[in-house]
Amino acid sequence: MLGYTITQWLFGILSFLAVMFALLVVFSKNPVHSVLYLVLTFFCIAGHYLLMNAQFLAIVHIAVYAGAIMVLFLFVIMLLNLNEQHEPRRTSVSRIIGVIVAGLFLMVLVGVLKGTEQLQLTNTANAEAGLIKNLGQVLFNEFLFPFEIVSILLLAALVGAIMLGKKEVKENVNENRI
Amino acid sequence: MNGLIIICGLGLLAMISEIFKFRSVLFPLVLTGLLAALALNVWEWNNPMHISYFENMIGFDRSALAFSTVILAIALLWFVLAQDYFKSGQHLVDHYALVLFALAGALMLTGCKNMTTLFLGIETLSIPMYVLAASKKNDLKSNEAGFKYLIMGSFASGFLLFGIALVYGATASFDFEEIKAYIAVFQGELPGFFYVGVIFILIAMAFKIAVAPFHFWAPDVYEGSPVLITGLMSTVVKTAAFAAFMRLFMMCFSNVSELWVTLLAVIVALSLAVSNFTAVMQTNTKRMLAYSSISHAAFMLMIIMSDKGETASVNSLIYYSLAYSLASLSAFAVIYLVSKNGSEDITELNGLHKRNRLLTITLTIALLSLAGIPVTAGFFAKYFVLSQIPSDTLLWLTILAIISSTIAAFYYLKIVGSMFFADSYTKEPIVVQKSHAFVLIVCVVLLLLFGMVPGLITELALY
Repeated sequence: MLGYTITQWLFGILSFLAVMFALLVVFSKNPVHSVLYLVLTFFCIAGHYLLMNAQFLAIVHIAVYAGAIMVLFLFVIMLLNLNEQHEPRRTSVSRIIGVIVAGLFLMVLVGVLKGTEQLQLTNTANAEAGLIKNLGQVLFNEFLFPFEIVSILLLAALVGAIMLGKKEVKENVNENRI
Repeated sequence: MNGLIIICGLGLLAMISEIFKFRSVLFPLVLTGLLAALALNVWEWNNPMHISYFENMIGFDRSALAFSTVILAIALLWFVLAQDYFKSGQHLVDHYALVLFALAGALMLTGCKNMTTLFLGIETLSIPMYVLAASKKNDLKSNEAGFKYLIMGSFASGFLLFGIALVYGATASFDFEEIKAYIAVFQGELPGFFYVGVIFILIAMAFKIAVAPFHFWAPDVYEGSPVLITGLMSTVVKTAAFAAFMRLFMMCFSNVSELWVTLLAVIVALSLAVSNFTAVMQTNTKRMLAYSSISHAAFMLMIIMSDKGETASVNSLIYYSLAYSLASLSAFAVIYLVSKNGSEDITELNGLHKRNRLLTITLTIALLSLAGIPVTAGFFAKYFVLSQIPSDTLLWLTILAIISSTIAAFYYLKIVGSMFFADSYTKEPIVVQKSHAFVLIVCVVLLLLFGMVPGLITELALY
């Protein structure tokens, strides 16, 4: 088809969708819609991971980003009752400053892109490295120690979150009850 | 390695002690565990059988063992000190578990030989500290401290990860030794983003050890956190972060030292100037000690900068962290005991001489040591730093260091003076528990001992 392979077509479509949804995240007025579009953007990026043969990363990306973090976002938006637009009207000064800053940033980006040189990859990565089987083998052989330590790290974070979240029992209240 | 395993086990034990109802024996258990870890460290020192473990992920050579011994010893003293702090709160078990997990992270940092263990060590050390900083839940300042620490710490972790990714992209390895070998072979042909990566890692580590211009979180966090947690931050956390800094820059990136030595010189100069001039104006003791810790961090960075053959530098870094930790721990202990029924204001220390003799003597020795006055350990710590700086290229830094420590001596001695000669608003004596008195006396004796016989540390055969 027009000299492109299927992978290239998929890459093009996914990139187009990702950019479209990302724009919709910014432009939609309703915060809940924004979050939902962001979920779709994440799905498109997960598709990119699949194209690069990184199955595990794709699944984790959907489970963690689209699943956990976005649900958290939705919860917060609904709890704070933000489903209407409460944003204060921006003054023209802040708009002009925003345009100038964004324009400068664009200039930097264009300059950097023009200045890049084509680097030859010295180490070509193993194309199968992202498959779940290979990843698991690396994780449980070479990276066994970090894998175990992550459990300690998560445990510490869990204990910390519970400690901060637990309701403080007020001592004098207890005395009153007795 | 054995120490690390024991500390992880103790953390888990602390968590299940609530379920199986042996909470009351948890404190002696933790002390025994720490003593066992210390003893095993000494044993490992004498029988170096395995240097590295788990595919070279972590390795306890002698310098790592020395650093972890310092950390474990300080932690032991800290636990004895913090006994009644644990009793007062409602989340006794959680506090124990969090401190022990932070300790595990600290030990991991002393032995890291791989970027993954470095990152995980820093996170395991930091995350419990964020929570502990916010552990006074009803105190607005404590909440602010925890939140600020979390945001700034996550920011630094982001820098660290980005830097690690860039260095990995250039050298295709996480392993310190492999990266070093790669740099040695391909020196001069390394891509630009490798250098950016090294600078990002440097920035992240500077955040963690709190040196200017990445120090802005430190005074607020030190002030807001509970006193004992601040004591933990300025001793254990700092020592561990410096151990990692040393391993990373003296061992892994030593071949590109011309890149980071200049940067470190700027960081050191800024920290010395900012911290000492600001510390003079502080009225809160904890805030003042925070600025003083920034200036001490700058001194420790000078050791890393003036790397003259690894052994001497590592020895003086260990000596400096030990001297600083002991002095800092005893200073925070005194502030904790004084501020129990009062405020943390500097005027609270006025006339302490008439309220409690032991506290006055301890704080005097600790402050003299921080100022670097002879007979205390702080003198030789600073002496080794200044004698190791190459005088041909960095003479200006030596002069700046001497000027700033003179200013530092001024504000330390001002407190000493007010303790003896100023009038306090109350004459009510402060009662010190036996266990607290024990810790204070041990700290003072060690400070004087290391000050008189510095060879105990500096002549340790690290290799």
